Amino acid sequence: MSLMRLRPVIVVGTLLACGCGRGRLPSPEPQAQAAQKIRASIVGASAADETTAEGAATGTGWATLKGRFVFAGDAGQPKALVVDKDTEVCGKSSKLYDRSLRVDASTKGLADVVVFVRKSSRVKAPVPDTPLVFDQKNCEFLTTVFAARVGQPIDVKNSDPVGHNTNVAGTSFNQLIPSGGGTIFQPAAETGMPVMVTCNIHPWMKAYAVFRKDGYVAVSAKDGSFSIPDLPAGELLEFQVWHERSTGPNGALGLQKPDVKWTPKGRFQIKLEDDEVKDLGTLEVPAAAIGT
Amino acid sequence: MHGTPMHTQRTLMTMFGKPSCLLVAMALVGLAGCGTTPPASFRANFVEATKQRLTPEQEQQVATILLAMFGTPDDPVALPETGLDEAKLKLCAGPVRSDIVGRKNGLYREHCAHCHGITGDGMGPTAAFLNPYPRDYRPGVFKFKSTERSDKPTHADLVRILHNGIAGTSMPSFALLSEVQVDALVEYVKYLSMRGETELALVRQFFELDDDAQGRLPETREFLVDETLTPIAERWKAAADARIAVPEMPADVDLATSIAKGRELFYGDKANCVKCHGPTALGDGQANDYDDWNKAIVEWSKEVAGDKDSDWVSKAGRVLAGDALRPRTIPPRNLRHGIYRGGRRPLDLYYRIHAGINGAPMPAAKGTVAPEDIWHIVNYIRSLPYEFDGELGVDRPMVAKDRF
Repeated sequence: MSLMRLRPVIVVGTLLACGCGRGRLPSPEPQAQAAQKIRASIVGASAADETTAEGAATGTGWATLKGRFVFAGDAGQPKALVVDKDTEVCGKSSKLYDRSLRVDASTKGLADVVVFVRKSSRVKAPVPDTPLVFDQKNCEFLTTVFAARVGQPIDVKNSDPVGHNTNVAGTSFNQLIPSGGGTIFQPAAETGMPVMVTCNIHPWMKAYAVFRKDGYVAVSAKDGSFSIPDLPAGELLEFQVWHERSTGPNGALGLQKPDVKWTPKGRFQIKLEDDEVKDLGTLEVPAAAIGT
Repeated sequence: MHGTPMHTQRTLMTMFGKPSCLLVAMALVGLAGCGTTPPASFRANFVEATKQRLTPEQEQQVATILLAMFGTPDDPVALPETGLDEAKLKLCAGPVRSDIVGRKNGLYREHCAHCHGITGDGMGPTAAFLNPYPRDYRPGVFKFKSTERSDKPTHADLVRILHNGIAGTSMPSFALLSEVQVDALVEYVKYLSMRGETELALVRQFFELDDDAQGRLPETREFLVDETLTPIAERWKAAADARIAVPEMPADVDLATSIAKGRELFYGDKANCVKCHGPTALGDGQANDYDDWNKAIVEWSKEVAGDKDSDWVSKAGRVLAGDALRPRTIPPRNLRHGIYRGGRRPLDLYYRIHAGINGAPMPAAKGTVAPEDIWHIVNYIRSLPYEFDGELGVDRPMVAKDRF
């Protein structure tokens, strides 16, 4: 068909496409009848509030999950950060580099992978009262990724001779941390995936934090290893895996493993026996799973 | 047809070729599209929905649930859990009109929608031309309030903003409206905010779904009201009791001493105001940061640029062009103008320093700087437009034209 014969369709079609909306996506049309049904079901008293407690099977014992993440690609050299504030202090004792993909040169271990349980029925240890120290020095957070329990005090410190502020995304915590000073931050709610921690005075500073009620969360160490002890045995646990640079949704890290099935949302399910120490072994993260 | 002159028909045929039913139908739809006014509708939060990679079916489910929970811009619904007064909402909703006793209705569209948008997304027709951009209510974050950083503003805080406007921005004063009207508008802003927060929560919840949920949110009262709406509404209700306790300004210190102390704190490492507001206090210290609303767009644009899924990238590109304003940096306030957005009472400045500014880079000094020291900083800041500084060569209030 010649372009000439298509012309009228193109003319009217283009007018239709750009006429009123200027290329904006049309908003989804709500379904009126379905909405009426939903409204009828949500107006009024909550039905059977107390009786809906899930009778999910659980045991009484405890177990451990561990494993080790290795990076299968070439991590390359980390980029040097642009340090343009307080240069007489920042990056002075050692040069500052991008830490979003920390791969151990000798073991290929991938650090800073977060593994946590999505829902659990039992917790062994109470929330600790001893504060978790989160410090900054040389204009760099000393921890790249850290986990804390909801309600656990976090001692946000500053060992630099210059002032910082610590801004935890999604929590409304953004406080001045003067040189040599500190303040206590108690996370009030769970984060879904880890949230970014920044300093607005020194924009290159970045870390991640994850807050969970049950504390069933681990961050992989320099050699890529992680371990979550005292997990409730006898119930089906679903784990979520995250890495800052993962290409998955919201940083979810999904892997191909023959024995444990991982979903594209970076989750896998395991039921552990009493006193079991389940070792997932070496978990290879392909280069394609890590983005820019 | 005798009525149609042959030559016209021929001209049309040469222009459009042989008319087909499809073509006529398309043309009719095209003509009808722009001419009539469809009922106002809320616009989906496409930025978050695309970020979370929702399917069109999932986007539609969110729209349907929101219709059930909040109604439409012409017919709002306030579930009892919101604590909102539906009668006040009705006064603000719908097109601008008068009722039978001559009372003005449709207040939101008369006074607010052209900047803040029908949806409260800060994307009304004028928004792109304003600097700063109008507030997007949907994340439920408000800057100028008497409560702690993480808390919602009180009803009175929002009433104050409507009364005074926001100096240094395009937000005018609505002091000429009646008390009843201002009160109703504040209620409506809270309604749009709760609706937006609920939408954000629902959109984000798709990621949290278990795999056996088949990508659909539960439409139960337990999930929609108890787990989603109630926590949002409770935070709004709690604001009334969350006001910052402000001690009296220290009475035993004379003003000159207090200003000198404040100056020391301003430049000192503890309060560290100098880092962002600059050694001249002209607001030129930290000029390349973003507020939370703009930062979300900046971060997401980077994510889109690095993604390989071309279908998603093309949708995201359309969303960024049509549903987001071009990100702007947030300059720290120039403190020599004497223009304070959140109010110029000493008390307002105390709140800003104590709690920081939610949504903005400004951190909280609470816990780090003692209350009496915050008062000293307030006094120093209030003296800044009149401060003589030999180094600056400034011996009169700094005005904008001197800055450039």
